[in-house]
Amino acid sequence: MNGINRRRFLQLAGAGSLAAATAGAATVMPVLPKAPRLTAASNGDSFSFRAVAGMPTRPLPSYASYVIEGHVDVTTKTGIVTKSVFAGHPEAMSTVALPGMSRIIRIVDVENMGDSFYIKGMIDDRSVLLRGESRNFEMRIDPSSGVVLTDFFGSEVQLLLDR
Amino acid sequence: MADHLDAPGLKSPNMDAEIDITDHYAFQKPGDPNKSILVFNVNPLAPTLANSFQHEAIYEIKVDTDADAVAEIAFRITFSPKVNGRQTATVRRAVGANAAGNNNGGQVIINHAPVNFDSSITTTESGPYKFYAGLRSDPFFFDLLGFLNGFKFTGSDFFIDKNVFSMVLEVPNTALGGNSKIGIWVRTLMPQNDEFVQIDRMGRPAINTVFNHGDAKNTFNHIAPTQDRALFEASFVATLESFGYSSTDATNIAEILLPDILTYDYSSAAGFLNGRKLTDDVIDIELALVTNGQVTTDMVGPHTDLLSEFPYVGNPH
Repeated sequence: MNGINRRRFLQLAGAGSLAAATAGAATVMPVLPKAPRLTAASNGDSFSFRAVAGMPTRPLPSYASYVIEGHVDVTTKTGIVTKSVFAGHPEAMSTVALPGMSRIIRIVDVENMGDSFYIKGMIDDRSVLLRGESRNFEMRIDPSSGVVLTDFFGSEVQLLLDR
Repeated sequence: MADHLDAPGLKSPNMDAEIDITDHYAFQKPGDPNKSILVFNVNPLAPTLANSFQHEAIYEIKVDTDADAVAEIAFRITFSPKVNGRQTATVRRAVGANAAGNNNGGQVIINHAPVNFDSSITTTESGPYKFYAGLRSDPFFFDLLGFLNGFKFTGSDFFIDKNVFSMVLEVPNTALGGNSKIGIWVRTLMPQNDEFVQIDRMGRPAINTVFNHGDAKNTFNHIAPTQDRALFEASFVATLESFGYSSTDATNIAEILLPDILTYDYSSAAGFLNGRKLTDDVIDIELALVTNGQVTTDMVGPHTDLLSEFPYVGNPH
């Protein structure tokens, strides 16, 4: 897994979800599990989200904001996610995206893990990748805790869902 | 990110980037110890966010000649509106109480200096002064991605292909005061309610970026150096202590870093912390200092596109 500790990834889902995931029993539910920070589409099978983290992460002062946002269709396991880095810390984020750090990700799999979604994606445009950067993308969205766990150029990072 | 993209409210690209300070430099003129070169860069990622200087702004280089963190000399640069792709600059030199204030006073030392929006170099000379303004290669070098990634540096220089808008002023050392040991900082001001208000300022590189959290960054940009210790010394000490410094050492270093003024002895050709040359690896020096030796390099070095003569800053990409 690209830069993310899968054990921690799964632990965030909680014991019940972990057991289900380990057993391969997680099924896609056509409704959003208590998702106040996700915006549900009209049919309830999909959602939009936006999550932000200050970079560098604490205790260092944040200079920029790492933003992941997109739309996920849980039923078809498809969607598009973008990740960008904007100048300014999250409380005073600018509209200036730092060049060379934005990616468009095509979702290729969505796994419902009870309280959360485990999402896999692919960066189709290889020309934007930095040396050593994987084109694979993984992310866990936990609406109940408001946390998104993914990687930032190889390092695990935790983002907070916008309320 | 020496000071790039930290101007308060940087949300209207066509306006604020023009007054967002990226860096400033002060060094003895190569081959002439009687003159100094002052470089003042703004507009990060130029011309993407903005393609001119802000004609309403004052771009100011402050010079403190007696170590009281108050300017006794100021160089003030203003620009005409950009019309038909053309813009000109005026440079004034103010002294005494006039230099300390928020105004555009002072004696005109350069007038009608054209701004270069391409790789051409048009310099304007008047008496002992020489001036250039225009689009240049950003001389700052830093692994920004490694910094954002928690100091996991890979040697990738984010700024290697970026441009800025440069103002380069060659001055006789006598114009910097009789005492060779001076302090320099730069700032940008905009008119608000019939007065000029400080929008951004910078002394040493990356101070505001590395030490200040959240809204403190904006506060730091708005205040005068005379307020630095009162408002920020405690937080600077706390940050330094978090990197393992004793309370005494942290306080001593914080009082070197604050007030945020670039110290420069114009009788010396040495570089940072004496002034700052375009090739000085200020980030490596500051990383080692701030982190108590835990991080000593970001593994990138000076750009190779610098010019050997005025205006010294490389041609734009």
